[in-house]
Amino acid sequence: MNRIARWIDERTGLSGPVRGFFNYPVPKYVHKNLLYTLGGLTAITFLLQVVTGILLVFYYDPSTEGAYNSVDYITYQVPLGWLVRGVHHYGSSAMVILAALHMLRTYFFSTYKKPREINWMTGVLLLFLVLVFSFTGYLLPWDQKGYWATKVGSEIAGSVPWIGPTLMQLMRGGADLGQATLSRFYATHAMLLPALVGILIVAHIFQLRFHGMAPAITESAKRNSKKFVPFFPHWVVTDAVFGLGILAVLVYFSWSQGAPLDFPADPTSSNFVPRPEWYFLFYFQALKYFPGALEPVATVAIPLFIFGTMIALPFVDRGEERRPWKKPITTGVAIAYTVIILWLTVIAW
Amino acid sequence: MADNELPPLDDEKGQWDTEAVSRRKVLGALFWGVAGLGGVATLGTAGRFLVGNALEPKAQRWVELGTAADFPTGKVQRHVYSITVADAWRDSERRGVLYAYTDDNEEFVVLDGTCTHLGCSVQWQEDADHFACPCHAGFFTREGEVVSGPPPRPLQRVDAKVENGIVKVLV
Ligand code: FES
Repeated sequence: MNRIARWIDERTGLSGPVRGFFNYPVPKYVHKNLLYTLGGLTAITFLLQVVTGILLVFYYDPSTEGAYNSVDYITYQVPLGWLVRGVHHYGSSAMVILAALHMLRTYFFSTYKKPREINWMTGVLLLFLVLVFSFTGYLLPWDQKGYWATKVGSEIAGSVPWIGPTLMQLMRGGADLGQATLSRFYATHAMLLPALVGILIVAHIFQLRFHGMAPAITESAKRNSKKFVPFFPHWVVTDAVFGLGILAVLVYFSWSQGAPLDFPADPTSSNFVPRPEWYFLFYFQALKYFPGALEPVATVAIPLFIFGTMIALPFVDRGEERRPWKKPITTGVAIAYTVIILWLTVIAW
Repeated sequence: MADNELPPLDDEKGQWDTEAVSRRKVLGALFWGVAGLGGVATLGTAGRFLVGNALEPKAQRWVELGTAADFPTGKVQRHVYSITVADAWRDSERRGVLYAYTDDNEEFVVLDGTCTHLGCSVQWQEDADHFACPCHAGFFTREGEVVSGPPPRPLQRVDAKVENGIVKVLV
């Protein structure tokens, strides 16, 4: 250790924990399987969102009168504004995809089993918060898409039996969509959620380190479970390379498609067909199948059921078996969900 | 946690002050009391602050839609109204779409153009003689009754009256 590092360490006591973190032994079977990078890549994408988000705040005007013009200004006048906003926009899609894939990976490897139940639950919560992130961010440009998606989204809350109307008004900050709604969404998106998600990610990673990686499931992986490589640089470099690849894809989309900006919000337009962001399309489509009095089934019961079963999963599936091909029920359920979601998305596209 | 044994200290470091330590339970309870009070006060304030004025009912007002005699009979007509209302700390335009229908230029049926399913804008389709909602394919009659699709209720009727030959609606 050179003198400066020692000087800092004597005053902060950081070198122990930092070294511990970076020298963490990663089992070989994990290091060799790229599916294990999905969690780290989700975290990297989150960092990208934080950085681009902080940049956007420097120009964004969270008022019903100024929001649209400020986003237009960011997109077309600020040097590299198209890039920053583009990466933030497409980054949200990347975040949803990566988080979902990461969850599928952990699910199929049965990593939620004892003693990792809490880690699974923080993960479920994080996925939920990512969706809230995306929903609240969608409104901020105050364009047609955001306005109408929020109108429909808050009406979904409004369809909850009994408390729905109150819930909807709390969400909107009033009877109608307006300044209070925009302010609420902005505060949630740019202050509350980053703090919550940041804390949960730290807890999520801490839990992972505390328990170590879940046991290997295949025979060949088990043979590799007694050999280790250090987290830095062996593991980190893989994440970094793929992270850069993701950034490149986001830059490509920002450059070739640009982040979309619709016409300014207009409550009186009757020919605008609201559509949510693509990863909510399956739900948008599903709503068509629940007429009249059945509406709360689609808007309340099904989402609560899905969320509830995800939370309850580690307490229901408690057997020793971790190999997905020996667990037809859990494997079947996940495949069924995936197929239904993909299918509804395709119909709605 | 208060009845946990304290770990023994190194001789070099010193000793626990046993007399002070004997008050651990009381002090611990005091701490939780104070912290709980502070927490409840903070959360309560935050909650009330965040609810804010969100639950105030929508301010309603009569607006003129046009001269009663000028409405075409037997036809659904689209109207856009626009009024200035207080929106949190600023005055803003509240605009909306209404559909008016009359047989005799005396009685008016005025419907709010907001779909009762999830709030999209319905469109009047003259040839098909129904309102169609583009979002999840909801359909309504010209009186606003649900024909098919997910909407749970008829389109909302808006109070309308004729005063001195002028049609007014409560929005
Ligand atoms: S919002 Fe009109 S049918 Fe769903």
